[in-house]
Amino acid sequence: MIEWSEEHKAIAQAVRRFVEDEIKPRRQELEFGDTPPYELLRKMIRTFGMGELQLARFAAQIEREKRGGGEPAAKDPEASDSPESWRARADAVAMQIIPTIEICRYCPGMVTAMGVSIGLTVGTIMTRGTTAQKERFVPALLTMEKIGAWAITEPGSGSDAFGSMQATAKRDGAGGYVLQGSKTFITNGPYADTIVFICKLDEGNAAKERKVLSFILDKGTPGLTQSKPLRKMGQHSSPTGELFLEDVRVGKDRLLGETEEREYRAGAKETFSSERTGVAAMALGIVEQCLSLSIDYAKNRVQFGRPIGEFQLIQQKLALMEVARMNIQNIVFRQIELAGHGRRTTLAEASAGKLYCARAAMEVALEAVQLFGGNGYMAEFHVEQLCRDAKVLQIYAGTDEIQTLQIARDLLKA
Amino acid sequence: MKILVPVKRVCDPDNANKVKVSADGATVTSDGLEWKPNPFDEYAVEAALRLNENAPKNEKLGETLVCSLGPAEVAQTLRQALAMGADRGILIDATDGQLDTTVVARALKALVDKEKPDLVLMGKQTVDGDSNAVGQTLAEMLGWPMATFAMTVSTNDGGKTLTVGREVDTGVLTLKVTLPAVVTVDLRIVAPAGIKNGATPADHKYNEGARYASLKGIMQAKKKAIDQLKLSELGIDTATSSAYPKFELPPARTGNCVFVETVDDLLGKLRTQAKAI
Ligand SMILES: Cc1cc2nc3c(=O)[nH]c(=O)nc-3n(C[C@H](O)[C@H](O)[C@H](O)COP(=O)(O)OP(=O)(O)OC[C@H]3O[C@@H](n4cnc5c(N)ncnc54)[C@H](O)[C@@H]3O)c2cc1C
Repeated sequence: MIEWSEEHKAIAQAVRRFVEDEIKPRRQELEFGDTPPYELLRKMIRTFGMGELQLARFAAQIEREKRGGGEPAAKDPEASDSPESWRARADAVAMQIIPTIEICRYCPGMVTAMGVSIGLTVGTIMTRGTTAQKERFVPALLTMEKIGAWAITEPGSGSDAFGSMQATAKRDGAGGYVLQGSKTFITNGPYADTIVFICKLDEGNAAKERKVLSFILDKGTPGLTQSKPLRKMGQHSSPTGELFLEDVRVGKDRLLGETEEREYRAGAKETFSSERTGVAAMALGIVEQCLSLSIDYAKNRVQFGRPIGEFQLIQQKLALMEVARMNIQNIVFRQIELAGHGRRTTLAEASAGKLYCARAAMEVALEAVQLFGGNGYMAEFHVEQLCRDAKVLQIYAGTDEIQTLQIARDLLKA
Repeated sequence: MKILVPVKRVCDPDNANKVKVSADGATVTSDGLEWKPNPFDEYAVEAALRLNENAPKNEKLGETLVCSLGPAEVAQTLRQALAMGADRGILIDATDGQLDTTVVARALKALVDKEKPDLVLMGKQTVDGDSNAVGQTLAEMLGWPMATFAMTVSTNDGGKTLTVGREVDTGVLTLKVTLPAVVTVDLRIVAPAGIKNGATPADHKYNEGARYASLKGIMQAKKKAIDQLKLSELGIDTATSSAYPKFELPPARTGNCVFVETVDDLLGKLRTQAKAI
């Protein structure tokens, strides 16, 4: 893939119109109020029929699962190996990526909220749940009728997510479990209806040797407390909070996979990869917007009797922003192409892409603030928000340092 | 009902101030400006889709054809209408220089003769030329009944007639037209309850404005047919009847601001200094 297709461009144009009509006018309240983003996200999903598309893909996958692989259903365009199938798979991914880019031009936080709900929470249930669990929890998440959260981070456990994890599940002796622990920095935590809770099975053994399991919890489960949104630097349109679990009793039907034999760590790479690849599209939206705002400003802001765009130091900023934009776009194109061919990105590649895109977005956003001078520092000018929003790309889904470690580990492993 | 909706692309009306005049004054240049469907034409497409569907059941009741005259790129504009839900497109290849009100109306008449729609639904005017004349000219050439500036349309008599609410200076004028007919629409046609077709429940409330194309609609639009025709193939008189000898931009505003004390003062200045009245 070397360019967006006409249809891709048409999708971008349509979503941009929605963003400009519906999201842009509410930027202030999303940014400085406590308006959660969910109603707007639901409206977008309804408007563009995204829920129906996702539900159709979901139904096809469940159908494949129930048949246990075998012959693909005649109507399932993604099931075979033909060029049409490649295109269908690639287009399905592009249809998720393009809205991400367009929303990130105004409100990256909304994408974080949506990505954690539809990407991470659904993704985890889809890779680890039983077919019955998928059918029970996933459809309402796909339309965002219900909001999902995915909770691994704890006050004492971040980059070393599994090693330092304190949250526990104990068998209750009647086939169910009792859950304990506290989680923090959980996207959608304050509002989530469906929560994937990751913890260790305490069998009286040492913490290091414990198995990691995951459970699905509903809002309102006795013993579960969801905090108010935490105040933070950026991404204000994405509510982040804490979860507290005190003697939360659940049946086995809440254990993802309904077996203790599926160790969470075993498939964690897939979850991490998909989370990391999502950052590239977010970075592209932020960079595209910073660049186009900067070009406009450079042409119109006059100092020393001429537009500042005539100064070479300003030109250099614009040129480097464009280089970053091209690189990030190429990474996004590669992701779409890989998805088309049914190939997963390796964890090392996903890490490399995330590391580059997150840093580039941060650098571009900082340079955009610089190019805008005092205005760049003012909340009235959008680059100020994008700059604060971009920072988290280097922190969540694995910090820059952790990505670096992972890439190096992969290089040195043989 | 079979509905034909002509659609024209125009320069992004939100950036109309970027339109420039060529050095010799012979043409208006639109370099670097985005093209968009003429907003009133988009409303006409929306109105046609509403007339031709049972909205809650998501059922199609008739065929909506869209057509455009212009260079090959207007296929993009047609695709947008197809993505919204129109069924088929017709592109009549022509350059802007070959077209004026009369030629466009003749071309549309030729299409109507060929396609035999029950209704031609169009924007009341384009936001570039602002002539507000093609619909009226076409109705005259066809000898069909016409209702302009429609803000409401409802179907009666089993789809044989339409009741059209027209927005005029003195209020709303209600007309009954027998099909086939030409109707041109105004902005309010896309209000939540502007269209009643007897199939969509009367209390159904649409979203204000033209609908967004769904992602599926956009992907499917690529598979819908756009018939290509040449202006010369329509068998019509292609001689234009109007010409633009010269364009010039309005003089730049001086930015001078004068405060006056009384209305008489104002009128006096408008008469003697600005010579505006
Ligand atoms: C807005 C936001 C939303 C989030 N959403 C979620 C969510 O939905 N669910 C969830 O579970 N978590 C979420 N997180 C948590 C996020 O994943 C963690 O913050 C992140 O993984 C880092 O962990 P930490 O904050 O504990 O930092 P630490 O791990 O304490 O890191 C502190 C510093 O030390 C560095 N460091 C750590 N280990 C090493 C090492 N081995 N070598 C070199 N340097 C190292 C780090 O890179 C960092 O610079 C979110 C965080 C934020 C900010």
